[in-house]
Amino acid sequence: MSSSEISSQPDWNAYDDDRFRSEVRAFFETAYPEELRYPAFFLSWSKTQHWYRKLYAQGWAAPAWPREWGGMGLDGAKMLIFMEEQERHGIGRTPDQGITLLGPLLIRYASEEQKRQFLPPTLSGEYLWCQGYSEPNAGSDLASLRTEAVIDGDEYVINGSKIWTSYAMDATHMFILVRTDKSAKKQEGISFLLLRMDSPGITVRPIRNLLGSEHFAQVFFDNVRTPVAWRIGKPNQGWTMAKALLGFERVSAGSPKVAQNGLRRLEAVAARLGLMEDAGFRDRYLQLKLDIADLASVYDRFAELVKRGGTPGPDVSMLKILATETYQRLTELTLEAAGNAGALHGKVDIAGAPLDILSPFYMSRPFTIAAGSSEVQRNILAKNVLQLP
Amino acid sequence: MSQEDTNQMLRDAVGGFAARDTSIARVRALRETDPGFDRAVWKKIADAGWTGILVPEKFGGAGLSLPEMAAVLEEFAKTLSPEPLNAVSSLAALTLSGGDNEALQARLLPQIAAGDLIAAVAWQESESGIDPAAIETTAKEAAGGYALSGSKRFAVPFGADAYLVSAKGQGGVIVACVDKSAKGLTVDSELRADGTRVARLKLDNVQVAKADIVASAGAGARALGQAIDQTTILAGAELLGVMSRALEITLDYMRTRVQFDRPIGSFQALQHRAVDLFIQKELSFSVLRDAHIHLAQDADALALWASRVKSRCSEAGMRIGRESIQIHGGIGFTDECDIGLYLKRAMVLSAWLGNGAVHRRRYAALAPALEAA
Ligand SMILES: Cc1cc2nc3c(=O)[nH]c(=O)nc-3n(C[C@H](O)[C@H](O)[C@H](O)COP(=O)(O)OP(=O)(O)OC[C@H]3O[C@@H](n4cnc5c(N)ncnc54)[C@H](O)[C@@H]3O)c2cc1C
Repeated sequence: MSSSEISSQPDWNAYDDDRFRSEVRAFFETAYPEELRYPAFFLSWSKTQHWYRKLYAQGWAAPAWPREWGGMGLDGAKMLIFMEEQERHGIGRTPDQGITLLGPLLIRYASEEQKRQFLPPTLSGEYLWCQGYSEPNAGSDLASLRTEAVIDGDEYVINGSKIWTSYAMDATHMFILVRTDKSAKKQEGISFLLLRMDSPGITVRPIRNLLGSEHFAQVFFDNVRTPVAWRIGKPNQGWTMAKALLGFERVSAGSPKVAQNGLRRLEAVAARLGLMEDAGFRDRYLQLKLDIADLASVYDRFAELVKRGGTPGPDVSMLKILATETYQRLTELTLEAAGNAGALHGKVDIAGAPLDILSPFYMSRPFTIAAGSSEVQRNILAKNVLQLP
Repeated sequence: MSQEDTNQMLRDAVGGFAARDTSIARVRALRETDPGFDRAVWKKIADAGWTGILVPEKFGGAGLSLPEMAAVLEEFAKTLSPEPLNAVSSLAALTLSGGDNEALQARLLPQIAAGDLIAAVAWQESESGIDPAAIETTAKEAAGGYALSGSKRFAVPFGADAYLVSAKGQGGVIVACVDKSAKGLTVDSELRADGTRVARLKLDNVQVAKADIVASAGAGARALGQAIDQTTILAGAELLGVMSRALEITLDYMRTRVQFDRPIGSFQALQHRAVDLFIQKELSFSVLRDAHIHLAQDADALALWASRVKSRCSEAGMRIGRESIQIHGGIGFTDECDIGLYLKRAMVLSAWLGNGAVHRRRYAALAPALEAA
């Protein structure tokens, strides 16, 4: 698709919030495929590309990108509304790391030529990106990554391995952190490169997850070549660039909507099995309900800050802890409420209704592991907020 | 021989089985298959004598009691073998021997002990009900026996040769032995988290002869209740085995996985998590041990102890499973890492025969009555 096929975007930020919200909601309600609402697991590109094309044609594929690059140009306030509506309607994630993670980084750090080269095909879905940060020995301690890139003429030659790479099987391209200076301090010898997934020397080994599906992979690099012109930013600046983009991610990771949707699933199970009359269950249910309500209050504080154009401080870590751990407890109580059916795989019969109880339970596990584990977030809070020695 | 010696001998024997006859690779290969376990391995289990531990000597068993079976099941559970040892050799065998049909006992119990008959007790109908008397399936008296109609869920194992089905007769709950190919019986399976299956039965006017009635109306509820409670305690022993092994694996991982140039086991945040899991495991061990001691003196407290044991072991097993995943990080979310298999077995054992919440509720209902007595 050429960019002329995208409907041109008004200045959304000039809309009042309610009007913007209702337009977004109306589009989602009419255009999003019913069968993909509230997906219980990761959706592959084959399942979501039809929806992505609709978003693209509407001009809404990249809500946070500036309008000059085909985005909606939403500011923080409108972006949060957009995401709240996505979650409210249960819209599943497409393999969207090119839009959500790479795009903003390119817009901020790439040369004009690189932007022209990579942003349009990323927007159209022609380039699907995966994120090559983690390695077998560099997880929480990402800065210790060892996959290295050495310059040979006008190309980098890459050797090493990345792991837990989501959507690696769907992706056409990868953005990757590599070590380019072994003598520098850990954080200072890392560069940010782009590469094609069909480059000679790349092997992708899909990894089956707890749900039994292949969503992530280990990727091996054996003398893989990529142009020096595909490096974003200066050499050895990769760490700083990657870190700069984490703040917004932590506000969105703290959204209470996922838990609010989960609460409805718990209510459905409890109602079908007559648990609401049980005083013990009711108390635990109400405790969670209020935890989620109060999580929303914390979220609103950070959302307002973002809406005013502020940048959240290290205390935003508490939002991620609250959102992910509350949601996990919710999936656990749902399993328990389902009794014997709480150990059944897939869509199961709960007093006559088909419900998938286990998938949300499994899916909630990595929320406290990826994007900074709960332990790492607590370390940040202890050090940078409580200022403990 | 003292009970401790017997138990140690039994544990060692299961250790031998673990080394020779099963492996995690075998467990993985059997997942989601039909029926989900291996009859050849079942025969080896029988040859070792474990299918007959609770079967009276006169019917070809060892005539031992709960502590011995618990020792075997705790070790057996560590192997994650999908063979339904507790369901068949405790629940079905105890239901049969608690019944009042001695001729049927003489016919079936030796077969169970020998590993030639795999019987599943089909007593549950709803997601959370654990009262064997609260059922809808009916038994109408018919020519020379009964006609059963209704449905059952969560019977273990799927793929049994016969089902011991509970039903409401005129004077109370009866238990009938229904052959898997009986006319009017439909058996479907539901897949569990760990890749094993439970049976879902539909009974449409299934004819059962008097000779195949395991327990008559006067004896059914009691036979079932006792068998279920004893098996519930044994499921606690299985959970103890699963959680112990899961914790060992996790502690090993904490010793070897390095981040920030140190083993992750050196981070106090993880150390405290691990210690809390250890304490949960110790609580589970202690309540089980206490249950054995008390039940040897006062068998009337069986139901109360069953609920105490199952409540603790279900919660502890689930918690150790979940937190082991967290401590493993990304690799814990994969299918190739064994720790997930332990979480999934803990999920299955915790839900089976009533989960923690169900047993806390029952404990509350039972406890005051006992205090008043
Ligand atoms: C579903 C899923 C999708 C993912 N997708 C991607 C992707 O697309 N691209 C990508 O690059 N990565 C991806 N990841 C990887 C993810 O970022 C890592 O899993 C994460 O950084 C944790 O690293 P690790 O798995 O190596 O665990 P480790 O770092 O080994 O952590 C193991 C345990 O140690 C704890 N720990 C570590 N350090 C400390 C400390 N200092 N103090 C206390 N406790 C500590 C952790 O909290 C955890 O409990 C994904 C992971 C998952 C689970």
